[in-house]
Amino acid sequence: MKAGARWRFWHRALVGLAVVYCLFPIYFVLVQSLKTAQEDVFGYPLIVLHPTLENFEELFVPSGQPRGFVGTVLHRSYPFFVWLENTIVVFTGTVALTLGTALAAAYALGRLRPPGYRWWRRAIFATYVIPQTILFVPLYHVVNALGLDDNLLVLVLVYPTTALPFCVWMLSTYFQHLPREIEEAALLEGAGRATAFFRILLPLSRPVLVAAGIFTLGTIASDFTIASVFLLSDINQTIPAGLGTMEVALDELLAVAGINLMAIPIVLISACFARGYVRGLTAAMVEGA
Amino acid sequence: MRSRAGARRRREIGLAYVLLAPAVVLLVVVLAYPLAWEVWASFTSLSPLQDGGPAFVGLENYRLQLASPQFWLAAAVTVAHAVVTTAAKLAIGMGFALLLARPFRGRALVFLAIFLPWAYPASVSVIGWYWTLSPPITTSYSVFMGNLKNAVDGALGSGAWAFLSVTLFNVWRGSSFIGVLLLAGINAVPPELFEYATLECGSAWQRFWSVTVPLLRPFLALGVFLSLTTGFADLANVWMLTAGRIVFPVIGTQAYWLAIGGGEFGPASALSLLLVPFLLAALLVLFRLLDGPDRAPA
Repeated sequence: MKAGARWRFWHRALVGLAVVYCLFPIYFVLVQSLKTAQEDVFGYPLIVLHPTLENFEELFVPSGQPRGFVGTVLHRSYPFFVWLENTIVVFTGTVALTLGTALAAAYALGRLRPPGYRWWRRAIFATYVIPQTILFVPLYHVVNALGLDDNLLVLVLVYPTTALPFCVWMLSTYFQHLPREIEEAALLEGAGRATAFFRILLPLSRPVLVAAGIFTLGTIASDFTIASVFLLSDINQTIPAGLGTMEVALDELLAVAGINLMAIPIVLISACFARGYVRGLTAAMVEGA
Repeated sequence: MRSRAGARRRREIGLAYVLLAPAVVLLVVVLAYPLAWEVWASFTSLSPLQDGGPAFVGLENYRLQLASPQFWLAAAVTVAHAVVTTAAKLAIGMGFALLLARPFRGRALVFLAIFLPWAYPASVSVIGWYWTLSPPITTSYSVFMGNLKNAVDGALGSGAWAFLSVTLFNVWRGSSFIGVLLLAGINAVPPELFEYATLECGSAWQRFWSVTVPLLRPFLALGVFLSLTTGFADLANVWMLTAGRIVFPVIGTQAYWLAIGGGEFGPASALSLLLVPFLLAALLVLFRLLDGPDRAPA
């Protein structure tokens, strides 16, 4: 009994430590964004005494309008609303394209199994080995050849390649481990392949699909480099690329508010699917789950 | 009967290739030409600053890289960075997974907290993180952070704090991803197996190494591989963010520096391609662990 109590104490202490370690940076950035300029300089670092949403409001001031006492001389306004729209377009497009292509490829590799399907899967996964370092230099040639320079579509085209290999891997191993009879029954009853897929396989693989979707969202939401290399004019930028162009010394509070505005929706979406994400990872990696 | 089955199989294979096509085309369009270009450039003296066309120089770029002390310093730092961050992520992530392995009150909320560092978009958190740790501005915490930066830079050389802070960020984010991945692995193990292990093994330490780790092997391998291939991304993000002001002494940013700063595409390509054999080796180990012939039935 004494050992049990001691174990519980240590468990609780470690859990507390883990939660602080995980949440502190997020808390810190959130607190900064709620501060007035006054409090930002003279207040306490870790707490906010007079929280305000003015930094968030200022982000949405239409561009060109003078802001505060310094007017337009020192402060630039940013088309934040446009950045938000662009980000939503790019992220939705990328997740849809990634999941669509990954599902098709995974069905081919996991169910239809053409000759050498293992090697196809390995080859697709092996694209992670290609060093990303200066890849954007030749990628610029491709983008120019396709006439997509400074266009949001570039990101929708490039982003899927960062998440697709893992998604194909997860979905295809999952499909491969599902017993053949699952579909066969429907096929024998006269249903087409497509019907069997949409009515039977797809509903079954929902957790794995959720895991693939959250992985894709998390992966593309972590890119700053590709977005800032390919999106040059400010009305075409996504939030990360746009925030990167901010003058830190003058607009620190605005930028911090922008960080939170981008992060909060993504965190909420991910949090809603967090349990499904774990279940999907388990199901994808374990035979016949 | 046999030929009908054969025809059906042929149709299936045809359909498989059709369904495979979009993914393959996407990867080829985005990656094939850039990769080929990089390989080609690494054998030439290609540079936008140079008059005339690029000359073929054979393995000269590779030879020069391997002969320069800068390369070996960068290689050593890159390896150290990869080993230290990956080990830290595995250790912390394993800790998270073990903490969450058994039910307790508030487990769902703790799980969410552990999931958040990875879910929090790194593209913007790296901006916040970087400014927080190296504030160029008059915030209430900049004195403290400035002192910390000076102390670390004074002890380890200039630029050390910037490197360390991005590394810490990378570990913070990566340990969350690996923690969730390992938790998914633990969930896959039937609880009876752990109960049996409790009876069989002497100490918890022994149980951890002889039962938990082998069972989680495929998950560990996947975590290590993804950590190795994506570990550089945070450094790249900061490099872009500061417009190349901060050059970390790792192979990736040195390649950037050569290519964008100096216009030396040839050596830069050679430099980044030198990483490929090591990543390929890691990949082969991963494949063996994921679906090798000797995978023990759980």
